[in-house]
Amino acid sequence: MSNQSLVDAEWALSHLDDAKVVFIEVDEDTEAYAGNHIKNAIALNWKTDLQDPIRRDFVNKEQFEALLSAKGVSNDDTVVLYGGNNNWFAAYAFWYFKLYGHSDVRLLDGGRKKWELDGRELVSDVPSRAATKYVAKDQDLSIRSFREDVLKAIGTQNLVDVRSPDEYAGRLLAPAHLPQEAARIGGHIPTAANIPWSKAANEDGSFKSIDELKALYEGAGVDLNKDTIAYCRIGERSAHSWFVLHELLGVKNVSNYDGSWTEYGSLVGVPVAVGDEPGTA
Amino acid sequence: MSGCGAVVGGVSLDNVDITNQAVIQGVISSGNAPASVGYARLLDRNDEFVAEVPISKQGEFRFFTVAGDWTIVALIPGANSRTPVQATIGKILDVDIAVIK
Repeated sequence: MSNQSLVDAEWALSHLDDAKVVFIEVDEDTEAYAGNHIKNAIALNWKTDLQDPIRRDFVNKEQFEALLSAKGVSNDDTVVLYGGNNNWFAAYAFWYFKLYGHSDVRLLDGGRKKWELDGRELVSDVPSRAATKYVAKDQDLSIRSFREDVLKAIGTQNLVDVRSPDEYAGRLLAPAHLPQEAARIGGHIPTAANIPWSKAANEDGSFKSIDELKALYEGAGVDLNKDTIAYCRIGERSAHSWFVLHELLGVKNVSNYDGSWTEYGSLVGVPVAVGDEPGTA
Repeated sequence: MSGCGAVVGGVSLDNVDITNQAVIQGVISSGNAPASVGYARLLDRNDEFVAEVPISKQGEFRFFTVAGDWTIVALIPGANSRTPVQATIGKILDVDIAVIK
């Protein structure tokens, strides 16, 4: 697949020693990077680096600038993101870098999983990069949705729930690699189509072909001429689907609702649908 | 709020109430030894992806789900396999999977 935002292993291998290309592994669990990682890659933690330590929100512009400056990332660097979980968190970080206006950010197709399954080299040496003075832009809110946007979109715009069918229907409250939680209700936002993120990925974590991705959304009856809001449980799987729509298929009016089901499913007084059907407005 | 990250080998059972969920766990092996690199993927009754964890160095994996029919796909470099299982609420189902290369 040829796309400016997506690179493959061969491209990565030819740029591992390029000082202006920064490989960044993004995980929630730091165990993976600490064990080994792609040569010269640095790490970002999805939660401790990119989430505000107190409020449920992102780090602000100044905090993001301080983070990337300390990590040695410059504004004119090409940032290549990869990670575990089929690139969920790397796709989230891609969307996050776009949100703060980084000009050249890319995703390694298949992430850590494909790299490992293909038997490619991983190293334990941690590189050191000189600190920089990174300058971020204000958040591009055209690619981020909030709960008010979602409520307005019910029955009028596209809502795409990218969780598994059992989470969409309310039969599971979390992905099955996590203990099932009991305090929150299950279900989905009424009128949301269920197009699981996994339908866009091959078994090795790489993206399906452009033709297959187009067929996926067209086959689900999503009119991409309308604005589209993607969501999941906390916004990382939907960042993967946002990447498919915005970066691979070139659909520009797509945003990610990072509050996702953990926010919506806890709101008082909002409509909720359960079962396998989208439900009505 | 907890994240959605998959812990290597699966989340520990410590402090988890397993009376209200079905646990599927096991070891993936290859060539009579635990596989040290690979993934365990859980599919639902319609073959839809539900979850995936990187296996531990000892080949271990664990899922938390509800009662029903599931399929575990073992992915290791150069080979994979599918194992259908039936899970029950309040029970821990141990599944050992040998992948033939």
